[in-house]
Amino acid sequence: MSETILEARQVHKTYRLGRVDVPVLRGASLRVERGEWVAVLGASGSGKSTLLHLLGGLDRPDRGRGSILFEGRDLAHMGGHELDAYRARSVGFVFQAYHLLPELSVLENVLLGAMVRHGRVGFARRRSALRARAERLLDLMGLGHRLRHRPVELSGGERQRTAIARAMINEPTVLLADEPTGNLDEQTGGAILDAIAALRDAGEGRQTIVMVTHAREVARRADRQVRLRLGEVVEEDVPSPA
Amino acid sequence: MYQSLLTRRYLTHRIMPLLAALAVALSTAMVATTWSVMGGFLQILLDSGRTFVGDVRIFRPSRGFAHYDELIARLEADPMVDRACAIIETFGVVSLVGDETRAVRVIGVEPTSYDAVTGYFDTLYWHPIDLPNRADRLGEDPRLRPLVPDNPDLARRLELTWEQIEQNGREVMRMDRKILRRVPAIVPGIEVHGHVNRRQPGGWYLPYAHVPNPQRVDDWFLVPVHGEVTLRVLPLDEDGRALEMASRILPVANEFRTGNYEFDSNMVIVRRDMLQEMLHMDEAERIVEGSSSGIVVDPDTGEERFVEPETVVDPARANAVLVSGAAGVEVNALRARVEEIYEAFSREFGQPAARVQTWEQINAGFIGAVRKEIALVLVLFSFISLTAVFLVLAIFWSMVNEKTKDIGILRSLGASRAGIAWLWVRYGLSIGLVGSLLGGLLSVLIVRNINPIHEWLGRALGITVWDPKVYYFSEIPSRIDPSATAIVLIGGVLAAGVGALIPALRAAHLDPVRALRHE
Ligand SMILES: Nc1ncnc2c1ncn2[C@@H]1O[C@H](COP(=O)(O)OP(=O)(O)OP(=O)(O)O)[C@@H](O)[C@H]1O
Ligand SMILES: [Mg+2]
Repeated sequence: MSETILEARQVHKTYRLGRVDVPVLRGASLRVERGEWVAVLGASGSGKSTLLHLLGGLDRPDRGRGSILFEGRDLAHMGGHELDAYRARSVGFVFQAYHLLPELSVLENVLLGAMVRHGRVGFARRRSALRARAERLLDLMGLGHRLRHRPVELSGGERQRTAIARAMINEPTVLLADEPTGNLDEQTGGAILDAIAALRDAGEGRQTIVMVTHAREVARRADRQVRLRLGEVVEEDVPSPA
Repeated sequence: MYQSLLTRRYLTHRIMPLLAALAVALSTAMVATTWSVMGGFLQILLDSGRTFVGDVRIFRPSRGFAHYDELIARLEADPMVDRACAIIETFGVVSLVGDETRAVRVIGVEPTSYDAVTGYFDTLYWHPIDLPNRADRLGEDPRLRPLVPDNPDLARRLELTWEQIEQNGREVMRMDRKILRRVPAIVPGIEVHGHVNRRQPGGWYLPYAHVPNPQRVDDWFLVPVHGEVTLRVLPLDEDGRALEMASRILPVANEFRTGNYEFDSNMVIVRRDMLQEMLHMDEAERIVEGSSSGIVVDPDTGEERFVEPETVVDPARANAVLVSGAAGVEVNALRARVEEIYEAFSREFGQPAARVQTWEQINAGFIGAVRKEIALVLVLFSFISLTAVFLVLAIFWSMVNEKTKDIGILRSLGASRAGIAWLWVRYGLSIGLVGSLLGGLLSVLIVRNINPIHEWLGRALGITVWDPKVYYFSEIPSRIDPSATAIVLIGGVLAAGVGALIPALRAAHLDPVRALRHE
């Protein structure tokens, strides 16, 4: 009954620093089922972000060494435009450092994803619907009253909630979150996780989420936890709650 | 879509792009201003080149043609022709005031008809004026005041008024004070006596003064009052051989100024009838060759009879006819028509063929030179304007650097490489547009007010860029050339786009992951 939506198969990723090859991922495999919330744990520098970028089609694995499959299709077989479309429609990114555009308002930052996806004509045609969706998402994130504010006028938590709304504007199949609470204190981080959880249940089916974190407490919110160790993904033994 | 939103925001939220726009504005303003001013300069030259030629000239050097009154009547009967006049153009040598001698073009005219075709009366320099020209800020121009302020009666009797001097110029006559009769005179270009008429920075002429008090006319040496010129011309016989040099001493009636140095320094105007006499081109009776005269005995009656030699009257001759076209007649069409009329005339009156040329053809040498000069200046300035392209390039390069993270974010949202490139090119074009519009505005303001600006520069900094002594115009042309300005502005927009292109390509090829990690 479970359906694999996104899969990393024996993925290798090597960075080259001058003459030295730095292997980061060495045959990492991960299956993400539809509606699942997976937490990826790992020490700093273990390659969590690298894995997430590969899953999101921002980067490609080493040539011929592993593949990323989305709904059974190998991303390696996609051309540049298809990959752009994949990023625009199928995945939504949330980054540790929020990555909002400082010149745009909260609402515009959220709509930016829709503008990129639909282009000038498509966006104009759907403008009111998209706007309504953006406002609903921001409402859900508790930012309904801050639509016109600029990122600098927001707290870290508010910025991250804006970024989550932006990632969700195009109703992505998978939400990819890279340490979404990494820059926030415990309480604010908790609120962000609550927001993600609320979001997850807001749509029709449950939202599929891959979340990178190095904090156990954060990972605990997920359905399943895996750990990157020595470039491979291993299941995390979760101590059963006492 | 996101491109236009970001372009707008980037434009209004950063100082760098405004600097780039300013650079574009300055460059476009510079080129557009130069083009307009140089274009105006060319126009003045063209107008002045036309001044003494009319629109079309029929020319047969040396012996010229007869029956020119008939030719003129025929020309003026044609609807394409406004007026026509017959003149004599030749070369001569003048001994000037102050013992200078120089070769000049001598034009013999009948003043009224010459004026009708060329506007000659308007070129007479010495005449009363009410207002000083713009550059003469202190009102030092002697023409502003009566020539002999204290004794108007005497001034009139001695013909020492600006009004009378202007009239002298119109008739090319002047009172000979020794015999108290008006005699044929000469009107040289004002720069012929350039050593006596000293051109002032204000654009007016100060006559030579023995005593440095230019306010008193007695201290001046005013060419049209005191000047006398010896004119020598070379008459030719029917075969073009030189006869004996003819020479006359002529008082100066006035001086003309066209604004074209070529004319003003090398040309003198005299009366046509006088020049005809000097050149033996006037009406003359002549004995028919081969006819004999003397006592003849009639073979029938034996009566003796005196036979007069057979004579003919050679009509007066001119060697050029100047024609001005009726309003709206294109000059080349006029030339063709004039040629037809002349051919019919020459067949009928047995006159030789002559050259028919438009004023542009006659002046082709110097018009071409000025056009080339303008093109050269524009090319140079456009080259200098390339700095704006590089400035945009440099600014965009650093902005792409600064905005690397935004580029990564946009790529993570699914923006394509082409979309990113277009974002920056579009941004460059917008900056070009803003800069060009600003530059256009600036150029209009500068050109419109170029003379006050120039004066201010002169006063405040002692800089005289446009010295009327050198450039020969008292005012800088201030006409805006709309099509030239439009071309420059479009060029400005495109240049900014080109400047943005390389940074745009770099932005498009950034690795999105690296861009996101960029600090
Ligand atoms: N472009 C690159 N060139 C060279 N090395 C890189 C590059 N990007 C990442 N690395 C290296 O790859 C390794 C994994 O990086 P990555 O960012 O995936 O780790 P991470 O698990 O996300 O760490 P953190 O928890 O600190 O975010 C690190 O050692 C990093 O230095
Ligand atoms: Mg990381």
